[in-house]
Amino acid sequence: MTEQPTVKKKKAGKLERKRKVMSWAFVIIPTFFIVVFYFYPMIQSLWLSLHSGAGIGLEFVGIDNYKRLFNDQAFITAVKNTFIFFIFQIPIMIFLALVFSVVLNNKSLKFKGLFRTLVFLPSITSLVAYSLIFKYLFANGGIVNQVLMFLNVINDPILWLGDPFWAKVLIVIAITWRWTGYNMIFYLSALQNVDPSIYEASTIDGASVIQQFFKITIPMLRPVILFTSITSTIGTLQLFDEPMNLTSGGPGNATTTISQYIYNLSFEYTPNFGYAAAVSYSIVFFVIILTVIQFRLGREKK
Amino acid sequence: MFNKKTALTLGASALLVLTACGNGDSANEGEESEGASGEPNELTVWTWDPNFNVRALEIAEEHYKQDNPDFELEIVENSQDDVIQKLNTSLSSGVETGLPNIVFIEDYRAQSFLSSYPGSFVPLEEYYNTDDFADYKIKAGTYEDEVFNVPFDSGVTGLYVRTDLLEEAGYTLEDVTDITWDEYVEIGKDVTEKTGVKWMTNDHNDLGIIRVMMQSSGVWLTEEDGETPYITDNESLKLGFETYKELFESGVMNVHNDWDQFLQAFNNGEVATVPTGNWITPSITAEDSQSGDWAIAPIPRQTIEGSVNASNLGGSSIYVLNIDNNELAGEFLGATFGSDVDFYQDLATEINAIGAYEPAAEGEAYQVESEFFGGQMVNKNFAEWTQEIPEVEFGGSTYEIEDILAVSLQDYLNGADLDEVLEKAQQQAESGM
Repeated sequence: MTEQPTVKKKKAGKLERKRKVMSWAFVIIPTFFIVVFYFYPMIQSLWLSLHSGAGIGLEFVGIDNYKRLFNDQAFITAVKNTFIFFIFQIPIMIFLALVFSVVLNNKSLKFKGLFRTLVFLPSITSLVAYSLIFKYLFANGGIVNQVLMFLNVINDPILWLGDPFWAKVLIVIAITWRWTGYNMIFYLSALQNVDPSIYEASTIDGASVIQQFFKITIPMLRPVILFTSITSTIGTLQLFDEPMNLTSGGPGNATTTISQYIYNLSFEYTPNFGYAAAVSYSIVFFVIILTVIQFRLGREKK
Repeated sequence: MFNKKTALTLGASALLVLTACGNGDSANEGEESEGASGEPNELTVWTWDPNFNVRALEIAEEHYKQDNPDFELEIVENSQDDVIQKLNTSLSSGVETGLPNIVFIEDYRAQSFLSSYPGSFVPLEEYYNTDDFADYKIKAGTYEDEVFNVPFDSGVTGLYVRTDLLEEAGYTLEDVTDITWDEYVEIGKDVTEKTGVKWMTNDHNDLGIIRVMMQSSGVWLTEEDGETPYITDNESLKLGFETYKELFESGVMNVHNDWDQFLQAFNNGEVATVPTGNWITPSITAEDSQSGDWAIAPIPRQTIEGSVNASNLGGSSIYVLNIDNNELAGEFLGATFGSDVDFYQDLATEINAIGAYEPAAEGEAYQVESEFFGGQMVNKNFAEWTQEIPEVEFGGSTYEIEDILAVSLQDYLNGADLDEVLEKAQQQAESGM
């Protein structure tokens, strides 16, 4: 009887050790692949960004590529365009997604599933396919212009693809259409966790629906809003498919994004992979800076 | 039991991932492979455009097979962008597996590839007589005094016009033959006013028409060395910008945004002229209802000394990669694209392709009168104009500089001073070199 505990302990120790070995095995395998397929290319491209030259004729140039970034008008325009896209697009999209999620969370709403699917559906479409369809919809003689002209909103067709301003607007419309439903899902699931009694209490206190939205819903969803705005920012910084297929960066370079510039440097022009790598590291830099800012802003005030 | 099972699962999944990653030889033998097979009698080609380049290769294969029955040609068709991308990634990786034996490269991009990947392409002078071809085509593929290309389509330009609309406005084909761009603009204004049909169509992002003007004047975006940007002092370019603005502001230019809209513009009868490369012929003739209404005239010239009524737009050449079987690839190209007059007759008849091979123009297929073009000998005309195209050094930065100029053009159209925008473009181009 007295020996029982020690046997149990021994058994437990053996089990414990086996469990540890297994856990490490589970950790080590993915770590290995992450190192090989993520960290190694990251470090390799950092090294590559210190070289410059055409094709395979790369030479070590130190930080010259990074210096060149500051004088490269094409790069500066690409950065400006990218920033314009997310400064206008992300707030619009997040606000729309919040409104949709609140409306679709309404208990008394009928056909909830149908509406939720409809709003979410765009985000499962292929980026290239929807870009091409948008291109047809917004062509000079396309259906959007025809409808607007029929409603007498405009007299002449808007050159959605040919005018620097409208081309930017078009890209913003396109990515908003594509990603609003995706973000809505996050808010919808977060709203399920908000205690309904808070709303009941505020209704009794006489709060209007709009007051509830701004005073309760948004503060309650703050962490989720922060999360979605960070992922959306990173997504917009890497924006490629839409400008590539909708406007090919044009007119001029009015809608060229940083990612598209990287593509141009590697495949459209005489390839300079070193400089292209330096440009891609600028995205890393922007992502870090913006994420820090968003964390600061999103932190609850004390 | 539990432990064994888990260990097994783990091991199996790790194995799975590993095998999926290792691109063993088995992957290259399957149908998926797009690179050269390594079979002694088989060649792989990468190209684009199923109706033009691919058809041309198929015709070449038929001709070559007559003497070499064992020969096999594997044609891999992708969009031009994809071909460029695949070629760049394969060549820069330094691995030979997955590369084709033969690849088509647009002339404007040739120098960029030849200088970026020295040693990756094979010189081809020994396989055909370069003197038989128009000089500007040979020059496009010449790098460090060696010829790396076998020229394919000439890219010779013409002015496609709707004679019925000209007539309606009181003009004849004669009036638009051998004219200057200034005259072209003036007639255009009149025709647009009288018929209500736009004179031509263009995409503000595609400066092809300005490239056409420059080559007709014998200059390019870079100086003779192929490197120094030639923008501020480039009279031809400056004049080209002015002509372009005049066409746009006078309202005779229809603006399209992509290739489909371009084709629609003339197929739907929205424009009266199309000044472009002869590769557009199949697209023009695709609209049966307009048969007999079209004619071709030489491309307008610039009001600059030495400018001629002949130019070139976007032709391509064929290159051989420095991998196994490159001798066979060279012989195949030399025997077909490089010297076979009959082959060129078939090309002209079947796909309206005008090669840059001079002896071919004597053949019968070039003497055929085209019903669609009101009885004109279209192939013969193009072949003649091909011989007059001035040769220029394309250099390796055509599209780089053109992207800069597309912005300049946009600024200029919006009212900026021409000298200032070009000055800015010059600086930007220089800083990027």
